[in-house]
Amino acid sequence: MNINVDELVSRDGVSGKIYTNPAVFDLELKQIFEKTWVYVAHESEISNPGDYKTTDVGKHPVIVTRGSDDGQFHVMLNRCRHKAASVCQSECGNANFFRCAYHGWTYSNNGELIGMPFQDGYDKEFDKQHNGLIKLPRVDSYNGFIFASFNEEVCSLNDHLGYAKEYIDHIVNSGPEGIELSAGAHKYSYNANWKLQVENTIDPYHLSVTHRSFFNILSKKTGKKFNFNKIHNNEKISDLGNGHSLYELDGDLGIGALPFNLIIFPNLSFVGSHVRVVHPVSTDKTNVKLYPFLLKGKSDEVNAERIRKHEGFYGPAAFGTADDIEVGFDRVREGLNADIKNDWLLMSRGIDRETVDERGVITATSSDEVSARALYKQWKKLMTVETR
Amino acid sequence: MEYVKTKRQQIEKFLIKEAALLDQDLLNDWLDLFTDELIYWIPSGSSDINPMKHVSIIYDDRIRLEERVKRLQSGLAYGQEPKSKTCHLITNIEVDTDENEKIVVFSNFLIVELRRSIQTIYSGRNEHHLVHIGDDLKIQYKKIDLLNKNEYIGNLSFIL
Ligand SMILES: [Fe+2]
Repeated sequence: MNINVDELVSRDGVSGKIYTNPAVFDLELKQIFEKTWVYVAHESEISNPGDYKTTDVGKHPVIVTRGSDDGQFHVMLNRCRHKAASVCQSECGNANFFRCAYHGWTYSNNGELIGMPFQDGYDKEFDKQHNGLIKLPRVDSYNGFIFASFNEEVCSLNDHLGYAKEYIDHIVNSGPEGIELSAGAHKYSYNANWKLQVENTIDPYHLSVTHRSFFNILSKKTGKKFNFNKIHNNEKISDLGNGHSLYELDGDLGIGALPFNLIIFPNLSFVGSHVRVVHPVSTDKTNVKLYPFLLKGKSDEVNAERIRKHEGFYGPAAFGTADDIEVGFDRVREGLNADIKNDWLLMSRGIDRETVDERGVITATSSDEVSARALYKQWKKLMTVETR
Repeated sequence: MEYVKTKRQQIEKFLIKEAALLDQDLLNDWLDLFTDELIYWIPSGSSDINPMKHVSIIYDDRIRLEERVKRLQSGLAYGQEPKSKTCHLITNIEVDTDENEKIVVFSNFLIVELRRSIQTIYSGRNEHHLVHIGDDLKIQYKKIDLLNKNEYIGNLSFIL
């Protein structure tokens, strides 16, 4: 199928096909997950030389390491150069080398091919230097958050993050000695498109409806009344550019410690007290990881309380996430089966009350769909294949 | 010997009753099986985590477990609309310790959940700490060690 991106996205909405068409999904893997910066790890997950974790960049399984000799971050494909078997099987660990269990090809933890059994079978032309694990050409980190890109020509990570950087700084500075992702993660999956999770991450418009049961409980417990009409008008959502967006909360809504939610396009966000990573699997399958981040230099009690508060709303069995999975993902996916001619999903809320500051940052109230529009503006830009 | 045998029967009966209350969606009665000070715990990642330093799927005290049940009964818990139907199987029961009025009992479980025409199996090992309150046994602590605690899990909003 030929994909005409202009027919799939407008300024105020999207076609349902962007969630269900496998050709669109395949193009996303190429045009987004192989073209821009993708978040892979936080430095606290690989804090010692030789530490590694495995994850995915788009559909590609990768190993992220901190080199035992050079201390540098490396991101390489988890695929043996000989017969393609994955060479690392653990989620995380520490290793000086990765040895493929198929024919014994062995790589250093920065990806170099060290050797293989019975090396004399390869002729003199065979160059070990060119048969290391395939590395993603661009790896960089910002304030502890490590990103990688398949695209050698991608802009600097600094430019990509742009106006989102100061909010990442705020998150890192919330701990006296920074933050760490040492508390493990909630892992959940749902049977629908990955973009539904990104949209849902900054969509305060749904809070008083989908999550009414949560706020009823909170009201009962704290005596605090939630007037969402007022809350929304006191709150802001901003399009920070490059697909990133920001939701600034009006005080404590009981869902975490951060005063804002931040989406870093395409796969990273910061919500409540956690780092959220979205892994697209197919049009109808998405995996999500939520890593509560702990404050270094704060007491165990303070951090335990953060974890408990996180579990109250987030995770597969929690009071918030389960309802998001059902309403925001499963029911949307079911409704999308009604594949009518006018298959438009509306994202026009607040489009006429947006303001633009001198930096070009677009802002409106928190019930407005500024974040979704920011997402699909960048989506459209990257998905539009240049024809030369 | 006679004493131990009776006790084991009482424990088995108790665990089977708990399973039946869950399967029948009698959640208030199920809550009554617990002591006032309780821990209801489903670890995430691995079974030997320290829940003060590591995230859990659930780590409820009495207050949050009551909120959990009330929420499910509120008619607004969309994750349970439609509701899950469950069949809890309890087996391999092992009474680990039975001293100082506290009984530690392990059991394997198999939960078949039916929701939206899909049957999902959850399995693993329970650890119950039971105490005698009057003539009754009560649950002070329940740890549900899910086999798939380190996997991506779907909507887990029914009570395990
Ligand atoms: Fe939500």
